Amino acid sequence: MFLMRFTERAYTSYTEEAVRNSANEAVRLTFSNKNFDPQIGARQYNEYLDEYEYCEEVGFDGLMLNEHHNTPTCLGATMNLEAAILARNTKKPKIVLMGNPLPTFENPLRVAEEIAEIDMISNGRVVSGFVRGTGVESLAANVNPLHNRERFEEAHDLIIKTWTTPGPFRWEGKHYHFRVVNPFQLPVQNPHPPVWIPGLGSPQTLVWAAERGYPYIYLETDPQGTQDMMAIYTEAAREVGYEPGPENFGYLCRIHVQDTDEKAYESAKGFLTGNVGVGRVPVPKDYMLPVGYGGKRDDPKISKYLGRIRKDPFLGLGLETASYDQILASNRWIVGSPETVIRKLRETLSVIRPGILGVWTNDGDTTHADTMRCLELMGQEVLPGIREIGKDLELTDPFQKKAITA
Amino acid sequence: MVAFKEEMVDVGGTKVHTMKGGSGEPLLLLHGAGGNNGWLKSIDALAEKYTVYYPSHPGYGKSERPEWLETIPDMAAFYTWYLETLGLEGIRAVGFSMGGWIASEIAATCGHSFSKLMLVGAVGIKPNVAEIADLFIISPAQVLELMFHDPNQAPEYQDIYQKELTPEEAMTAETNREMAVRLCWKPYMHDPRLANLLARVNIPTRMVWGKNDQIVPLECGELYNEAIKGSDLVVIENCGHSPQVEKPDEFIKIALDFLA
Repeated sequence: MFLMRFTERAYTSYTEEAVRNSANEAVRLTFSNKNFDPQIGARQYNEYLDEYEYCEEVGFDGLMLNEHHNTPTCLGATMNLEAAILARNTKKPKIVLMGNPLPTFENPLRVAEEIAEIDMISNGRVVSGFVRGTGVESLAANVNPLHNRERFEEAHDLIIKTWTTPGPFRWEGKHYHFRVVNPFQLPVQNPHPPVWIPGLGSPQTLVWAAERGYPYIYLETDPQGTQDMMAIYTEAAREVGYEPGPENFGYLCRIHVQDTDEKAYESAKGFLTGNVGVGRVPVPKDYMLPVGYGGKRDDPKISKYLGRIRKDPFLGLGLETASYDQILASNRWIVGSPETVIRKLRETLSVIRPGILGVWTNDGDTTHADTMRCLELMGQEVLPGIREIGKDLELTDPFQKKAITA
Repeated sequence: MVAFKEEMVDVGGTKVHTMKGGSGEPLLLLHGAGGNNGWLKSIDALAEKYTVYYPSHPGYGKSERPEWLETIPDMAAFYTWYLETLGLEGIRAVGFSMGGWIASEIAATCGHSFSKLMLVGAVGIKPNVAEIADLFIISPAQVLELMFHDPNQAPEYQDIYQKELTPEEAMTAETNREMAVRLCWKPYMHDPRLANLLARVNIPTRMVWGKNDQIVPLECGELYNEAIKGSDLVVIENCGHSPQVEKPDEFIKIALDFLA
């Protein structure tokens, strides 16, 4: 089982009142950056990097990063920069990029170069995730949301070709045009870094990932619905001739541990201020799902899958707005002493059976000290416990599978 | 009320839904980014003097969209084809908001299409001081709020905007929004070359603007007026972005005076 650590690296030194008084009452996109203090940011970036570097010592297999723009909810605006620092300052863990939001970039070759550089600096430790970017990223980058999926697929094809086909060659696509593709920054891993696709389980992306054999990482989706999504992936995989296993699936879950259940209950409340923003003010629908982002409604290849994913019971109410106790009672966030966390995780892992587990250890205003203690306990007790569960349940990860196959 | 009929005009294999009614010389009406709101009072009044052609743009309403049609210049090229198909040339045209941008593009690049041009709250030129409201990051309800200076003075407001939509109408509204995004995303609601090309326009042209337009600032009307030789700009007091809906009587008078 592959265990990777994640945090959104949120900035929380602002008030709910400031969010409520902002344009469209939105903490993302239009919340003024006058609410950001770079002095605090300077401290936080360094603490967050210290935490990630400590994750190597405690035994995580991977350091998972992401990026968002125009928002205090995630300081990682240029994830590849953080990845490059971690590539140099760590020796063993994979650098897991979840992922580069391809459609928002005007120059995918720059992304190919950056990832290749990080792969070389880390001596082949990059996992290169690609995402479409949540809808609001189309607005932040001012890229037509109607083109999102086309750009995602074309940028992906261009990057893979750049890594696998000797240059120079010419690229004349619909959205990208390059006279000479010939970067001297090429990845160490052959033919290229593993590609994993994180997401919320849209059938289009599930099918696309399955057809390419890319592991799909479910971002804290409803466990019941996740099984439906996995069934779609499995069907699509069988159609192209292979049987997927745990190595094709990952699951991201908020898991916070402290010495006692009581202490964990208090310090995990940072999850309530982090990626959802201080005050948990719901972001306007028109930001998160801009017109056209949903893509074509009439693709026959996809339409057979629509309606097959059970509705998330938290949808509508939202994980963002449900009460803390409701969320904890549902085990969507797993919080407690090492013993409690391991016991609850066994249930989740038994249902979803992922070979890859994203451990979202902390967020928001959970203190740096509490986070470091959480990571320490992860290393001492929780990660060994999860690995035991992984063995019991035969949750093979992509690297183990590759070793077995080889 | 003037009788009108609906027909599908086949333009190079693309069917364009067209409302046609009235009598007299032809008059083309081009709707805005929100779509075709139907045979309104102001349109009916124009149809008493002219034969009105009121199509839904390709990609809007019941009209098909050819895959290649992605931009306002594409739309303008398509409409010259539409006019040719109908055997229309040198006709009067009125463009509302985004339809004004399309009409301007046609007038600037295909001089024989129109004989008179009226632009109502038209986008297409970037204002220097104010900004065209960003309709793509706010909800349809917020757009509607910006549209009117005082909805109470718009006699058809309830009929157009407050009615309950059938699922099919809701889907059409969503498709219309997508088409607007397709056409106007970037540069947002304008084309940097348009003001320069408008120097070619040598037909009588009138701009009509609500003084309190919160979507397309009056400054845009002034810039159009500067760009087109011999044009004039008529400003309607206490009126928002859609004078034809908010102040139909005043609008009809201004339009008929000009088109005559």
